[in-house]
Amino acid sequence: MNNRAADVLVVDDDPDMVAIIRIMLDDSGYQVRCARNGKEALESVAERMPAVVLLDMLMPVMDGWQCARELRARYGRRVPIVVVTAAEHAGARAEQVGCDDVLAKPFEMAELLRIVARYAPRNESGSASTRSQ
Amino acid sequence: MARGETWPIARPASERRLAFVVAFAFLIVGSLWVLFTDVLLYAVTHDRAVIARFETAKGWTFVGLTALLLFAITMRAATQLTRATRTTSAVLDSIGDGVLLLGSDRTIAHANPAAVRMLQAENRDALRGMGAPEFSRRYQVSYPDGHLVPPDQFVSQRVFDEDGPIRYKALLYPRKDTELVISCTAAAVRSANGGPADVVVSVMHDITATERMDRLRDELFTGTAHALKTPISVIKSASQVLSAGAPPDLLKSTTLIERQCVRIERLVENLLALSRIRSGTLQLHPACVELGPIIEDVVNQARRISNTHNVLFRQAADVRIRADRERLVMMLRNVTDAAARASRPGRPVTVRLDRRGDEAEIAVAFYPDSAHHSAETSQSDYEFDDLGVGRYVTATIVEAHGGTLTEEADDTATTIRIRLPLLVESPS
Repeated sequence: MNNRAADVLVVDDDPDMVAIIRIMLDDSGYQVRCARNGKEALESVAERMPAVVLLDMLMPVMDGWQCARELRARYGRRVPIVVVTAAEHAGARAEQVGCDDVLAKPFEMAELLRIVARYAPRNESGSASTRSQ
Repeated sequence: MARGETWPIARPASERRLAFVVAFAFLIVGSLWVLFTDVLLYAVTHDRAVIARFETAKGWTFVGLTALLLFAITMRAATQLTRATRTTSAVLDSIGDGVLLLGSDRTIAHANPAAVRMLQAENRDALRGMGAPEFSRRYQVSYPDGHLVPPDQFVSQRVFDEDGPIRYKALLYPRKDTELVISCTAAAVRSANGGPADVVVSVMHDITATERMDRLRDELFTGTAHALKTPISVIKSASQVLSAGAPPDLLKSTTLIERQCVRIERLVENLLALSRIRSGTLQLHPACVELGPIIEDVVNQARRISNTHNVLFRQAADVRIRADRERLVMMLRNVTDAAARASRPGRPVTVRLDRRGDEAEIAVAFYPDSAHHSAETSQSDYEFDDLGVGRYVTATIVEAHGGTLTEEADDTATTIRIRLPLLVESPS
């Protein structure tokens, strides 16, 4: 673990959703990157490995399910994926494509921070830090 | 029915009786004629030659009169029969529903034009003689859930052996890219009560357009409910961000926003579930779950949201059941919300978890507000607060888990009880 702020990749085509997640995570000391679809997410991960990916499912160009499969195929379990979805029974399907967690919309702020902290723990100074790789 | 076709039906008993009556009447009248004319002849003359001549003339007269009578009767019967046949044929041909007549050999004996059109057959001859197995291969008859209907389970086949009429909804595929949804009813015509069917009438009502509209409505319902979840999430999260470190006045407003978001969220969840129930696509993903922590989470959330009630949880036993966690949470939220809404402000709502024999019991007790006791007030409140939908969805989920939902009330308190089968632990 080092003191660099943990990097969270938020993948969602809804700019308001991205904005509010960014505000919540920024306030908790995370560094937030955004992608508007699965294709952009793959490019972003290739550029720099995030501590965790928050992945929406219904998106244009490349949806979340396909993106999750691609991420698993390319990087194995090295990149934690949290599915953020309004779909029913997303847990069962998320398990099929090897995602690590599910955050059901609409979610509580505390729930979001708890799940992100599970994969990008906060250091003693209160700011989020990257995991030792 | 085309001219020259015959109905595949045996002669009913009433016709036999009529024929017997006519034959008997003829026998009596004929005998009386012979007797009366003989007596008259022998009263007039005793000359054998004259008698012989008159006997011959009498015989010929009888034959002539009989021929005239037979002609009149046959002509009249044939005319009536032809008229009845043409009337029936016209009725069959003009109705919009497809009608198939099956003979005692259980194959199609006749199809009306609507049936030929619905089944996209070249003509009625292409259907005539077709049995259930061939019909099944040709039209891929299936239930609405997609499972094929075995040929011996077609209503038109079952009704040969069962009392009718029998009805079901089925899907047919006259062409690869054409789906036909029909409501099919079949009834048997039997000469004798309980006897074998002489003919089966199968009526196919085309409900493809109605079904398509229903499906579109459900899809719109589902799509809208899904689409609403993201804006609710954004509003709720923004309110939570604002409430962090907010002064009391602002905190009141953000709490209000959040509470209303939760109400919309519940409404959307229930409408989505209702849509699934209506379309028969409500799926359960059961797994082994510990009930205590799930109820505790729901109660904690209800306590945080409610500004007028203290929601309490009492766990009398550790309980594990096999259930769909997502649906279970929805059901518990619905019951807790309903209790809090109907409860007198300031009085507690208590959720108690216990075992009752081989069942888990979740009892939600509350003190009803007197305003909710009046039927009119209660009904309007149900509509306003979506309690009707929530209650229906809850009851359906409980039932789908093999449980029961009951409500009992005394002078002061009301208790909603949900009982669910306990998980049967296999011996390790």
